[in-house]
Amino acid sequence: MLPLPAGGAPHLLLLAAIAALIGGLSAVERKGALQLMLARPLVLAPVLGWALGDAQGGLTLGIPLELLFLGGVNLGGSLPDNESLLAGTMTAMVVPAGMAAGTGVDAPLAAIGLALLFPLALFGRRLERASERRNAQLMEEALARAAQGDPAAARVNLKGLLLPFGAAAGICALGVLASPLLALARVRCGGPALSSLETAWYAVWAVAAACAVRAIRDPRAPALAAICAATVVAITLAVRGMW
Amino acid sequence: MIPAALPRPARRVLPRTLARVFLRSLFLQAAWNPRGMQNLGFADAIAPALDDLYPDRAARAEASARHLEFFNCHPYLAAAILGGAVRLEERVASGEASPQSVSSFKSTLGPPFAALGDGFFWLALRPTAALAAAATEPFLGLGCVLVFIVLYNLVHLMARVWLFAAGYVRAEGVVDAVAHAHLSSGTPFLKACGAALAGAIAARGVVDAGVPGRPFQALLVASGIVLAWAALPRLGATRSVYIALFLGALIGAHFF
Repeated sequence: MLPLPAGGAPHLLLLAAIAALIGGLSAVERKGALQLMLARPLVLAPVLGWALGDAQGGLTLGIPLELLFLGGVNLGGSLPDNESLLAGTMTAMVVPAGMAAGTGVDAPLAAIGLALLFPLALFGRRLERASERRNAQLMEEALARAAQGDPAAARVNLKGLLLPFGAAAGICALGVLASPLLALARVRCGGPALSSLETAWYAVWAVAAACAVRAIRDPRAPALAAICAATVVAITLAVRGMW
Repeated sequence: MIPAALPRPARRVLPRTLARVFLRSLFLQAAWNPRGMQNLGFADAIAPALDDLYPDRAARAEASARHLEFFNCHPYLAAAILGGAVRLEERVASGEASPQSVSSFKSTLGPPFAALGDGFFWLALRPTAALAAAATEPFLGLGCVLVFIVLYNLVHLMARVWLFAAGYVRAEGVVDAVAHAHLSSGTPFLKACGAALAGAIAARGVVDAGVPGRPFQALLVASGIVLAWAALPRLGATRSVYIALFLGALIGAHFF
């Protein structure tokens, strides 16, 4: 029997609908509308986690994901990996799985989730390219209408938000619906596997910290980061009376 | 010296219309496409102003079609160009300038403003605000999310509104106004803050792994950060993450 959230299958469907709505809106906010950075993993994961029932669990996922993708920027026509799709789907899958397994979002669950879903960041980029092709069709439509003397030809602009919304909403909903399988995997993890997955999650944290330093594109950044890191370690050890 | 506001053209858009143009500018990239880039968004954003300036449908359609030309800029800095384009359209509608002046204004300012915005907002402010939030997470918990949103959007929204207003008031003179805004001089300072915060976050990982009494784990995490930093340009984030997961799992299972 698959582990389900407290309310059973109807509860799971409700969570899928919530994840679809928030995931879809985040896909729109990421590039097409507002750009208040509400779609960044640091914001999206805790907000979606809160909506699904575990904000702290969402934050546990959001911070390392934010650091991993901190350096990704959309310059001109180049597209970075889609961190929002990954953060949304991972939160949609891991948070309900943690609730169903009774463990909450812990390091082993996060490590399994990341290993399974990381390719979504690359897939999201392909999805964005597809969306751009669709937008090029919208532009042709607008040009044709303008040539016929339609002053409102550019109103098709907002139609460009539909594809990212729909695709992200569907993928996030699937994440929730697949969460019982992840919960089952977590429940079946024994002692050595748990220790292994826990260390794997800390290793990801190390990569995330390295990505954060790399994200600051300045030649002085590594030296400044190293000096600051050494200072923080020394102060912490001194405060705790270990040095 | 920032130039004074331009003399008012005979035909003008209403303040309410300006607000509508600004709100629509928040959707500038809704239909971003490789050929025209932000052209649809720009034409859609300026449409309410054209409705005010050109009561005649044919003239309005002609003005609208002009804005379907290629346009690309940083989405925030584009607010200055949009504001300036509205002012120039007022002059065109009043017969004080040629339609070509609007196109020239957009195509001249787009690339330099894009570079300025990318450097300040994407490469300095956003990473630094995110790192500040991540660094305060042990003390603030979920409150760190607000640190990011407030730090980033306080600067971002104020800049966007100011740029739009400055563009509308000064048109071509917006270049001087932006030059006096210290965007490029603030970038190195923000990056230095970001680097220091990234170091603090790395230190937190090392301390968490090593305290209490686990110096080997602390050394392992510190080495992991340095190795990952060195390998990232060659491996990329995806491979680095999977290698980290694999090696971490092996170490955790006591294979080493």
